[in-house]
Amino acid sequence: MKQTATATLCLLIFIVFAFPVKTYAGFPIGKYRDIVVPSFSYYSQTDRYDINGNIVKGQPGARFSSYSTSLFVGYGITRRLDFIASVPFLYQVNAFGKGNSIINQGLGDLVAGLSYNLINFNYKRFLSVQVSGVVPLYSTNNGVSPLGLGDYGSEIKLMYCGSMPGKGYFNTELAYRRYFDTQGPDQFSFLVTYGYPVTKHNQISVDLLLFRSFSDNKAFNSNVFAERDYAFFKPQINFGHQFSRRFSLFIGGFYVPYGINTGVGYGGSLVAVFKL
Amino acid sequence: MERKFYVIFFSVFIWIAGVSKTNAAIQQQETETAETGDIILKPSPQTKNAIFKSNQEVLYRLQVINNTHDNKSGRISYLVTTDEGKKVAADTMHVAVHGQSSKELTIKVPPKPMGFYRINFMVNTADYDDTVRKVFGVSPENITSQLHRPADFDEFWKQSRVELEKVVPKYRVLEHPELSTSEKKVYSVEMYSYGNLLIRGWLVVPKDGKKFPVHYRVPGYVVSLKPNMDNDDFIAFDLNVRGNGNSKDVVNVGTDNYCLVNIENKEKYIYRGVYMDCIRGLDFLCSHANLGIDTSKIFVEGGSQGGALALITAALDNRVKVLTMQVPLYADIHDDMNVSASYDKQVFPFKIFRKYNSMHPGFTWDKFFQTFDYYDPQNFAQLVKCPVLMGIGLLDQFCPPRCSMALFNHISSTNKEFVCAPNSSHEVNFNYFMFQNMWLREKFRIP
Repeated sequence: MKQTATATLCLLIFIVFAFPVKTYAGFPIGKYRDIVVPSFSYYSQTDRYDINGNIVKGQPGARFSSYSTSLFVGYGITRRLDFIASVPFLYQVNAFGKGNSIINQGLGDLVAGLSYNLINFNYKRFLSVQVSGVVPLYSTNNGVSPLGLGDYGSEIKLMYCGSMPGKGYFNTELAYRRYFDTQGPDQFSFLVTYGYPVTKHNQISVDLLLFRSFSDNKAFNSNVFAERDYAFFKPQINFGHQFSRRFSLFIGGFYVPYGINTGVGYGGSLVAVFKL
Repeated sequence: MERKFYVIFFSVFIWIAGVSKTNAAIQQQETETAETGDIILKPSPQTKNAIFKSNQEVLYRLQVINNTHDNKSGRISYLVTTDEGKKVAADTMHVAVHGQSSKELTIKVPPKPMGFYRINFMVNTADYDDTVRKVFGVSPENITSQLHRPADFDEFWKQSRVELEKVVPKYRVLEHPELSTSEKKVYSVEMYSYGNLLIRGWLVVPKDGKKFPVHYRVPGYVVSLKPNMDNDDFIAFDLNVRGNGNSKDVVNVGTDNYCLVNIENKEKYIYRGVYMDCIRGLDFLCSHANLGIDTSKIFVEGGSQGGALALITAALDNRVKVLTMQVPLYADIHDDMNVSASYDKQVFPFKIFRKYNSMHPGFTWDKFFQTFDYYDPQNFAQLVKCPVLMGIGLLDQFCPPRCSMALFNHISSTNKEFVCAPNSSHEVNFNYFMFQNMWLREKFRIP
């Protein structure tokens, strides 16, 4: 029971971590231009936070690991309007100890939508809104799948980003996502990114993500989709290198120092950004 | 634990609020200029660029700031005049403002026909008078003007090209390590142009790439262009046409005489060679792809005289793929003369032309136009087929907005945009250049 619960929590947290949110941010892509962002993410956990935020040690040998690749594409339809879409492919290893494990793999949730730049502040800072839909690309068994919540959903996101006084840039995103299920969940996230160019072609950036998922069903349940109420704070540090005007690479690592009903996760990501 | 979560959330929110506040402060800093006086008038048009529609009421918010510690009362007036100085609207109201406080008034001007209008805001109290001058436009995209294009205009410039082609360029490209940086190579460039005259320019090539689009800049009136080190995504080519910058071997006259050199002879007028110098610059770019020049992506830019030169270069040569110009000089020269006649004090260029006219009795205005009609940028406009971006300053007296818009509206290209800087005179603002940067990236699909 506990192992299943851990796997559930891992899955939920992984779904959030899998998407390289920093790569798109709220900057308009630009009319007629494309951005393609393939990425690889790794997430691992052995322990978890309980409903009170206390760390609960995992069983000896138990570990949840997720490897995912994701493809994000964006296209500038007009100067203000962008089309965006992302598709992940997930590979999960849930080890229970004593050599027992379950492996799941497949496509995850497709997220596609439109982003509109509401206001640009002298072309230095941008306030944008993004509306997108969530479509599960996997089949479910009685509404249950290890690859996602199995529900359609929608998201609205407000983004404010731009250059900092002096050097550097920032990005903030406030998002609300609703899954179309009687138990939701309703999810709120707040992301802050600060990037600083250390040289002309190298930058470091810090992401701070606050995530809260609300559901009427607060009970801990072995059913993978019964666990829908959780929260976490995830800081991530990244290093980015611009190889050319069209190609950049980011590598980053994260840890979850605070959480509720979620995993004590850590991991990293490798993100390639192609601007076409 | 949940409490800790919300503490973190709140902390980050405070951080964001700080960023937003900084943003607001920067915006304010950028828009405000230092103003002094007992009473300050701050008019703000309802539209950001001070452009209205012809059926639209012209609205201004007028902030009246009393900088003194005393209560002030008096009259606030506005006066709207046409480009010819004809009064078309006016009103006066009484206002009282307490010491160290401000009051906001709404100024409503009835709808006006297309054109540009000067609007003066005036404050008169017992011991203080001041006037703030602004300009607004009404449907400027509909402004029309008469073309004074000589019948042999095309033949004239065709023949000029033929004569240019007879001149062997003898290009000379010299690297300057002392001017180069770790990121860019700087070259001086020499070539022979129309009339076998030597002209020079500067070429700056980024090192982190093999092929770049070109930012080809042509100079303002007797302006010396230097190596442009600010452009990371383009090869920057800055050409000093004859009599400008380091191209003064033969023509070396000051600003008072430059536009008068051989003005009485259309065949020998200085701008014939100047316009051909710009074409020779293109010849240079297109024959030096080996330097990393993407000859399919040349954009030409200039401000003031440079704006006129940029337009003419794009008109005469389709190797130019994109044109950007700011406050183009000499546009619709006939109307420029009319508009400038209404100025209290003459300014360039008609200050010079009028002076010359007054000192040369035989040189009538008819004779002036017999020459200048071959050089008026407006007469080249219909030849421009590439995407165009133009920036104008609404307070510009050197290049009146009406003349610039007349030129713009004659441009054949349908892919054209203009930007108004309402508080700028013979220049555009930072915001324009930010937009131009985005616009260029869009046109050339630069990431």
